[in-house]
Amino acid sequence: MPYIAMFSLAFKQFIRSRAAVTGLAFILVTGVVSLLIGQRFLNGQQEAVSFAAQQQQAHIQQHVRFFDKEMGLLLYYLHFSLVNTTDPLAGLSIGQRDVNPSIQSVTIRNLENQLYDTDLHNPLNLLLGNLDLGFVIIYLFPLLIIAFTYNLLSEEKEGGTWNLVRVQTGQPLRLLWLKWRLRMLAVFAAVALLMILAVIMLSLPFNQALLAVALLFTGYLLCWFALSFLVVSLKKSSGFNAVSMLSLWVVLTVLLPALVNSYISNAYPLPEALSNVVKQRQGYHEKWDMDRQVTMAPFFAHYPQFRKYPVPDEAFSWLWYYAMQQMGDDDARQETEKLQEKIRLREQASRKMAMVLPPLHAQLSLNNLARTGLQDHMHFLDSTRRFHERIKLGCYPGIFEEQPVASVDWDSFKVEYYREETPIRWTVLLLPLILTGGILFGWGWYNLRRQGHPAS
Amino acid sequence: MRFRIVSIIALQLWRSSLKNKAVLALTVIIGGMLLFAAFTGWQHYRYQHNMRLQYQQQVREQWLNSPDKHPHRMAHYGYLVFRPKHSLSFFDFGIESFTGVSIFLEAHRQNTVNFSEAGFSTGMLRFGEISVAMILQLLVPLLLFFLGFSSISAERENSTLKVLLCQGVSWQELIAGKTLGITGVALVLYLPVILVTVLCWLLLSRFQVSAGDSVRLLLLIFAYFAYFIICALIAVLVSALSKTSKGALTTLIGIWLLFMIVLPRGTQVLGAQQYPTPSKAAFQAAVEKDLRREGDSHNPDDPHYKAIKDSLLRAYNVDSVHKLPFNYGGFIMAEGERISAEIYARHQQELVRTYEQQNSFGRYAAFINPYLAIKHFSMALTGTDFAAYMDFQQQAEKFRYQLAQRMNRLQMEYISNQPPGPHDKPHSISHAHWAELQDFRYVPLQGKQVYRHERLSIAALVCWLLLPIAALFIITKKFRAL
Repeated sequence: MPYIAMFSLAFKQFIRSRAAVTGLAFILVTGVVSLLIGQRFLNGQQEAVSFAAQQQQAHIQQHVRFFDKEMGLLLYYLHFSLVNTTDPLAGLSIGQRDVNPSIQSVTIRNLENQLYDTDLHNPLNLLLGNLDLGFVIIYLFPLLIIAFTYNLLSEEKEGGTWNLVRVQTGQPLRLLWLKWRLRMLAVFAAVALLMILAVIMLSLPFNQALLAVALLFTGYLLCWFALSFLVVSLKKSSGFNAVSMLSLWVVLTVLLPALVNSYISNAYPLPEALSNVVKQRQGYHEKWDMDRQVTMAPFFAHYPQFRKYPVPDEAFSWLWYYAMQQMGDDDARQETEKLQEKIRLREQASRKMAMVLPPLHAQLSLNNLARTGLQDHMHFLDSTRRFHERIKLGCYPGIFEEQPVASVDWDSFKVEYYREETPIRWTVLLLPLILTGGILFGWGWYNLRRQGHPAS
Repeated sequence: MRFRIVSIIALQLWRSSLKNKAVLALTVIIGGMLLFAAFTGWQHYRYQHNMRLQYQQQVREQWLNSPDKHPHRMAHYGYLVFRPKHSLSFFDFGIESFTGVSIFLEAHRQNTVNFSEAGFSTGMLRFGEISVAMILQLLVPLLLFFLGFSSISAERENSTLKVLLCQGVSWQELIAGKTLGITGVALVLYLPVILVTVLCWLLLSRFQVSAGDSVRLLLLIFAYFAYFIICALIAVLVSALSKTSKGALTTLIGIWLLFMIVLPRGTQVLGAQQYPTPSKAAFQAAVEKDLRREGDSHNPDDPHYKAIKDSLLRAYNVDSVHKLPFNYGGFIMAEGERISAEIYARHQQELVRTYEQQNSFGRYAAFINPYLAIKHFSMALTGTDFAAYMDFQQQAEKFRYQLAQRMNRLQMEYISNQPPGPHDKPHSISHAHWAELQDFRYVPLQGKQVYRHERLSIAALVCWLLLPIAALFIITKKFRAL
């Protein structure tokens, strides 16, 4: 039979099956819904940012009017915002952006008391998760692949057509391979369609990150094709294939990630988060009842440039006040560093385990590319520290010299934006998937070759 | 229905299932995971419980050991509160990992509950957590479906169904027997779970258990048992209605995916999209806007505070606030606290109501998805649900308000109304007053409140249990023996 005719016949047979059509339709509809949700998420973020920008200006103007006499008192109240810009790719993978705030609004007081304030959210929404394209690709597409392929060989055998094929073509594996490619074509056409829609609906720019996402999706789904190829190559019954593939899906996307998560959160618990909050509160407040030298000596050691300002013995002084605030951060420094170290260890451990678990690897890498992961948030916190330090040191002289409030150009304090630039590490991104997929596929191929040739 | 026939069918299925090596392997694997989950849940509870208790005690000691000072400084020193875990939370983690642990309570300001596990998670948490509840809710039904898909269809394929029915076994007896047989396999796993759970619970609550908690545990045990019967019944009914075993298996896998993976997320997302919530900045701005309308103590020209001042001066017949018989600053701050707390509570309530509307989709969806019914009910019974968290926040806010107002009252009573001169010592009161503020004690929701919150889940579970049984007597006419 000519190749083209065989192909078109197989194509007709495939597309006429109810499972194929419902599966594809379901996944496309879910995919489009996920993109709508991504679009809404991006719009919400944008609105929040422009609202914050507007709000900051009104907030500063109003407070400058109320507290026009003392610079120290005014700056006690003023909030300054830093925005972690949202990449359009976040519309594909909302990641941790729904848990962690994208806007930090801080005063020049003790930072550790402000840094970890959470956003408003409905915890049940967080628990049940977002429906973004990442979910569709990581969870649902593998199910489609399983549904398309689990009975490719067994169906022919159970229907009694396999022997016919063997006798007629002499190359039975060629037919299997053809049907296989047909299903891959259908799946990747659906992915391509969703990606094109994503580019249009979320106005994704054509850049390396988009290419990386596309390759990540492709590599991840090829891994699933390879896995199901391996199961099919065992030549068991349709029922066995269905049960074992679903079990593999449950193990890979639900159980193992949950086990890894349980291991990591138990291996690296974070008591430092709580001791940090206790220490910084005590570090600041206890200084009110201590000799001023206890505060001023370490403060001047930290910032020698302010030694020139005098501290009165008894009367209230803003220099003393802000030095006490600083002690909150300084006393909790050890806990802060320990916390950061622990989180780094958590990141590292996750990444290592993800190397051998494609769903985990796909999710973490996707979050990384979309800048919605933990690493991105940690870098944002670091940048908030630098932002706070810069504003604080910029304001200190004006406070300590008791300059008039009107001497500062308050309109110049605009909302600032942070954008993390991380280069894409292509090998780390793709190699684990290529290796996993290659090994699984090779194993399956070996099985078929070994059993396929003898004329049994 | 003859009980003897039902039990023969049930026993036969139970025996043959457990003889099957694949079933045995699956049962052992799930059993092992249940043990692992119980152990880690127990460990996690103990670690978190002790840590939070330790910091709570430290905060209390620091509060009591504070030296003499101005009460308003004490109001800003404030209190740190750590959310205690319910002793049944080792069983079901619920939303625990997504909710904050500590909240800083101070005058004038409502802070957020911070340091949730999710905030420091690499995103892996989103794949789910392994708890006893998760395995019972998600994996045991899968096992039951694998056990039950061929329970009737295979008999039909082997032509033994005809024989059975000819011998006078009724459809009802057959289905009841098969369902009980499959549930029996689940009991092999579930009975040890009950034992371990009760033991863990007794140990974790140091054998000091209340009647209310015992009732909760009993309900928990019954609810899961009902859930298993529902799942087994679904499996047997699908098997009876399908032409082939293969067809029944695909249908059941489809149902499992729909119930456990697609619908829960789908309904929640639908709710969240339907009822949008404000961003944090917008929420705060709305609170501040109302505050400015009702009276802003920071605004020197605020009409509300000016009116208060004028009426005080008139009532006490003095010409300056410094001549009032109490501390004027304390009075104004008490008024400010009252107004801002009221406004905040109003907005917070509105926000919580919106969250509840978002969640209502999932609650009603329990009537088409038994997984959501058991999930919600289980979270509520183990104190790891949305209502428990909102209740904690409310109690913390109430404590914050009492703290601030107590300090304001101390200021009014004991602080001189004359500001200290530039070389005077700042005003202060004796540290003996600090002990007057009782420590924060979180009182968990009472059973009655929990059951009222969960009336939909309970109704859904009951419906799921009764409807298929009722249907059994109606639709068996449609079943075919061949």
